[in-house]
Amino acid sequence: MASTGIKKSQKRLFIRLDYCIGCRACEAACRSRFKGEARLCHAEINETALIPLSCRHCEEPLCVAACPFNVIQKDEERGIVVKSVLHCVGCKSCVLACPFGVLDKELLRRMAQKCSLCYDRSAGPRCAATCPTGALQFIDEQELQEQMVGKRVAARVPFWRRV
Amino acid sequence: MSELKKTVCPLCLNGCRVGIAYDGYQYQLEYLTEVEPNFGRLCPRGNSANIILDHPKRLCYPLLDGKEITWQKAFELISEWRSQCSAPEIAVVYSRGLQDEEIKIVHGLAAALETENLACGYIEPNNYFCYQLEGVKQAKLDDLSGSRATLLVGDVFSTSPVAAKPILEARYADKTSRLIVIDSIKTKQAGFAHLFIQVRPGTEYLALMAIAGILDPKLKINIDDCTERSGIQRPAIEQAAQILKNSPRGFVGAAAFLGRVWNPLFHNLCAQLVALKANKPFTGFTEALVPDGKICFGRLKEELAQGKIKMIFWFGGLFPYSYPEVLPEMSNVRFRVATSIFRPSTTLPGLVLPVPSEYEKSGRAETSWAEVKREPLARPVSGTKHINEIAEKVAGKKIEPLTFTQRQPVKVAELIQMAGESTIPPLDGNGWLLMGEKQAIGVGGFFDPEDTIAINPADAQKLGVTDGAWVTAKSRTSEKRFQANLTTAVPPGAMTVGVNNHANRALFSVEVDEKTGIVTIPPTKVDIWQAQA
Repeated sequence: MASTGIKKSQKRLFIRLDYCIGCRACEAACRSRFKGEARLCHAEINETALIPLSCRHCEEPLCVAACPFNVIQKDEERGIVVKSVLHCVGCKSCVLACPFGVLDKELLRRMAQKCSLCYDRSAGPRCAATCPTGALQFIDEQELQEQMVGKRVAARVPFWRRV
Repeated sequence: MSELKKTVCPLCLNGCRVGIAYDGYQYQLEYLTEVEPNFGRLCPRGNSANIILDHPKRLCYPLLDGKEITWQKAFELISEWRSQCSAPEIAVVYSRGLQDEEIKIVHGLAAALETENLACGYIEPNNYFCYQLEGVKQAKLDDLSGSRATLLVGDVFSTSPVAAKPILEARYADKTSRLIVIDSIKTKQAGFAHLFIQVRPGTEYLALMAIAGILDPKLKINIDDCTERSGIQRPAIEQAAQILKNSPRGFVGAAAFLGRVWNPLFHNLCAQLVALKANKPFTGFTEALVPDGKICFGRLKEELAQGKIKMIFWFGGLFPYSYPEVLPEMSNVRFRVATSIFRPSTTLPGLVLPVPSEYEKSGRAETSWAEVKREPLARPVSGTKHINEIAEKVAGKKIEPLTFTQRQPVKVAELIQMAGESTIPPLDGNGWLLMGEKQAIGVGGFFDPEDTIAINPADAQKLGVTDGAWVTAKSRTSEKRFQANLTTAVPPGAMTVGVNNHANRALFSVEVDEKTGIVTIPPTKVDIWQAQA
């Protein structure tokens, strides 16, 4: 089975597409924590599928390279890409550089918003904690591999869901 | 971080447990992962608990015609207004956002004011889930996850996203599990269905009648008439009936919201009829169930239209219907007193009194799954007064709480007769049909712009509208600009807008069904044209 390329001990956000109902509770949890700022966005795949997109915390993040003021840094120990809210000037270089388009082009309080995986919360990101259907999960590589067993059979269509 | 306070979310009847702690700067939500029924999971509305507590638009002082006044002045005014009205000219209305104990006090206030004009003003279609069909079993949480044949009527996932988890687990449990969805719009929920029956807007109950007729031919329902009027094919409902009949475990769930159904009572009761005939339990997914007053809202609306009511008290928290644009008859009322937790986004004529939110009050309540006791998460916002205190000041004496009567179960024969005689307005003709869509996100929804309108691409072509273009929608009651979102989720001829926003709600009108006396806010005809940039 293909590896996702992240370290085994590092947890990441994964989405079970067959359970995401597009309710945007994840976005609401983010907004509720950050006073109206949503640090993840949504993409409408078709009329019945709306899925959340958030920072992938890349191994070699292009947003870090693109930031002219070194506001975005890679925290190697925790494996996450963090952004200093105090020094961002809202130039949108990171937004343009992100290959996944997960940084919202709309600035909030004149700054680009970026997911920090709620590193201040020991139980993990709030979006995963709140997800009503359990579609959004904060798990490590091993847990992911365990979950993927048996799913491949159903993955003949673009999505796992609705087969 | 302060002590963690726990309560039961009051924003719908799922009864999710939620915790809040104060970190010295703001309220922080805590997800209580150990407790049923949600195990920490919250929908977008539940996630707004801490936003409601310290929302910048919380109302902290009484308003008179939009201007701040003192409580003393407010009570003096009420007393003066009362002295100019006789008892039959006063109406007392209560809406959602009140605990059972407070509703009893409001009933007591009406008695103290010696008025018979006491009505429930929560006329959202989901309040009709109060009515129960005789013999129908109420579903339990286990029934949702153990179901192998689930029938969902309306957009249950948007109404109660937390309930989607057990439903989806049941849907994926084994190969024989089936999920049937009946709706007029191809919602995200419909994307999960094995069988999606798309009906003409507002006619879900006809499809349900047809299924019930197949399940029990003794009901003598004209199935072909039902299928024709709801615009569906007979094999689809035969398949749905077959699935429900053959599965040993299943359940029927229904949701209804503003601008989506013609007759909310039939919508609810016909879903229950299918559950009864398929021998499955039923649950209505609803935000609140507010009991009836002494008169129905339709009668009050009539009295308002005739100018018989000079003074009105409107007790509620979240959504005062006393907005004149939603209920034009309100403009005939001279003296208006409403309660609210938020500062209204438009100037309301009359008095608006600040009250604590449901998160700041204690009380017992019934959820879909259990009876619960709510504890306050925080002290009431400074400047607010409890409804009990307001009622006592208004009456000038101590109020005796009065118990309210529960609605009687409806008999199957009554339903068949009522529904058989029902009529739906013709959907063809000029204009477009505007429907409501409850977007689960709705964080502090009353202030979200909700300025997109979903339009079928075929209709957009006729209108000469492109994706993202601005259009103006004008109904009999109001007008608003929207940004077009072209999608095949809505059928040709119909369009949808979010109905958390007040300006969007104002596009729909409150109607009274002549035959049944049911108050409803159905889909409405609108004119659409491309707005200037």
